[in-house]
Amino acid sequence: MKVVIVGNSAAGIAAAENLRSLEPLAEITVLSQENHPSYSRCLIAEIVAGAVFDSIRYRPDSFFEERNINLIRGVRVHSVNHASSTVSFGEEKEASYDKLLVATGSRPVRLGVAGEELDGVFVLRSYDQAELISRCAAAANDAVVIGGGLVGLKAAYALRRRGLPVTVLVKSSHLLTRQLDALSAAMVEKELREAGISFIYGQNPVGFKCGADPKALGFVVLEDGREIPAGLALVAKGVSPNAELVREAGGEISSGIKVNAFMETSLPNVYAAGDCIEVTDCVTGRQTPSALWTLAVEQGRYAAINMAGRQKAYPDPLTRLNAAQFGRLPFVSVGAMEEGEEFLTWQKEGRVYQKLAIREDRLVGFIMVGLIEQAGVFTSLIKSKRPLGNLRGDFLQGKVSAANLI
Amino acid sequence: MTREVLIRYDRCTGCRSCELACAVAHSASKTLLGAIGEAKRPLKRIFVHQAGAKKVPLNCRHCGEAPCLDACIAGSMYRTTEGIVTNEGGERPCVGCWMCVMVCPYGVIRSELKEKLAVKCDRNCLDDGKVPACVRACPTGALVYESIDQFGEDRRKEFLAKAVGGQ
Ligand SMILES: Cc1cc2nc3c(=O)[nH]c(=O)nc-3n(C[C@H](O)[C@H](O)[C@H](O)COP(=O)(O)OP(=O)(O)OC[C@H]3O[C@@H](n4cnc5c(N)ncnc54)[C@H](O)[C@@H]3O)c2cc1C
Repeated sequence: MKVVIVGNSAAGIAAAENLRSLEPLAEITVLSQENHPSYSRCLIAEIVAGAVFDSIRYRPDSFFEERNINLIRGVRVHSVNHASSTVSFGEEKEASYDKLLVATGSRPVRLGVAGEELDGVFVLRSYDQAELISRCAAAANDAVVIGGGLVGLKAAYALRRRGLPVTVLVKSSHLLTRQLDALSAAMVEKELREAGISFIYGQNPVGFKCGADPKALGFVVLEDGREIPAGLALVAKGVSPNAELVREAGGEISSGIKVNAFMETSLPNVYAAGDCIEVTDCVTGRQTPSALWTLAVEQGRYAAINMAGRQKAYPDPLTRLNAAQFGRLPFVSVGAMEEGEEFLTWQKEGRVYQKLAIREDRLVGFIMVGLIEQAGVFTSLIKSKRPLGNLRGDFLQGKVSAANLI
Repeated sequence: MTREVLIRYDRCTGCRSCELACAVAHSASKTLLGAIGEAKRPLKRIFVHQAGAKKVPLNCRHCGEAPCLDACIAGSMYRTTEGIVTNEGGERPCVGCWMCVMVCPYGVIRSELKEKLAVKCDRNCLDDGKVPACVRACPTGALVYESIDQFGEDRRKEFLAKAVGGQ
């Protein structure tokens, strides 16, 4: 069996690794546009903070060779020709496949406002971009981050750790609206303010203006007309799936590449996994781009199992599944808080906050800030949709553990 | 054949000998007296929980399809050739992203916030007879170290089914 995988990241690597253990004889080729050893995309903010490539490696260089996987780096796949079961890549090269996995990930959304092409305006998605931001940060006097989501805040925190004054523009009324409620977001904001980061709420940029150098960023222009001086701006307003390869080949697309439970696209022998696909959230039942590292790995594994001919359906995932730590404050946010009909909360000394969202006696979401022990027990309760019954009374304050579920 | 720490819940009296032995086995000196004085507090990786009237010791099950392996964004969590799931001694260091803590259905990975380190059972505690410290220390036989025969596998599946339902 000949397998071609497009993308050398979470989904692509997991697929290659699992496929090799299932199919010792398969011919596996991984095509990667990025010309770097495999690294963890989630950690590239560390590069912005000044770390070196080695510190964010995900698999050792020997990984591919040891598994007899043919990795071709620095090549872009231009098209999928499913009639001939080939992909064209690089400079007029072609590879044929019995099974193809598209694991092309996603890319940052651009604002589409004037001046976005100026030097000093960035997005953060790849090591190369992180490296450019890091270089620019070394010379800049001030930075503006646009977006109060996880990527924006990781970047802001990294820039601040380099000693730059950093302002974060947030359109919403609080940070991390996808993950947190107002109270928990305020705790994160406090931690970031203590680190020296400033916030402006209710504003989007309407443009970027140059300073003395006509090619380089000087100011970020806000909706209310204010001009914030900035030598560096980073746009972090979410991502959109890289679905082109499948779309142009005639495959079905909606908010991402459409796949069935076996990770198959609508094209014959073409599978897809990771940020490039659309999934159905197991709590809300709504379709949404996958957009999480953990899910990309899971889907890569399922794609491998199915490509190897062992049918195994991928269960609908939880699409809100985040953990992070800023300063001394960790938090975990899982499930769909907005689906809750009833909420249980617990707070301690302004440093700990836990909130559970319950609907029809089942846990549908939770937020834990400051104290995250046992979080996984709650995650599995959401997934299993198990009735809470008499556990409910003891739920918070760490009184419920997996032991209660036996 | 791989051996596993199996739990006979009905026998646990909640004496916490397993917790103590686990911490000592993970200390620098490997002795109780030494461990108490160590600057770096030795950390236990087994937890005795009170669930209603029951006492339940829980540690890592080294799951077949371990969610923590999929979740680790740093590439730090891996399975050893002996089948042990651990984030120590592998290719990549743990960065404390807490993904594993977020997905472990048994809640047996602890988050050391200051060190930004996820800490879990690593089986780096076997004595000369190749028995884990927690099992060796258990006075009632609530913890046993056995190869996974059908009985063990059934028990584990049953536990998983109850804990994580549809999974
Ligand atoms: C700063 C930052 C922090 C993050 N933090 C978290 C976090 O804490 N938790 C979390 O769950 N997720 C996080 N994410 C998201 C996470 O990184 C993604 O969900 C994950 O990388 C998706 O993996 P993937 O394999 O689907 O795609 P990607 O990682 O996007 O990789 C796709 C690869 O395919 C290549 N490619 C695309 N098109 C082609 C082509 N035509 N030819 C050849 N190669 C191609 C790309 O260059 C890329 O290398 C973060 C992301 C960023 C940027």
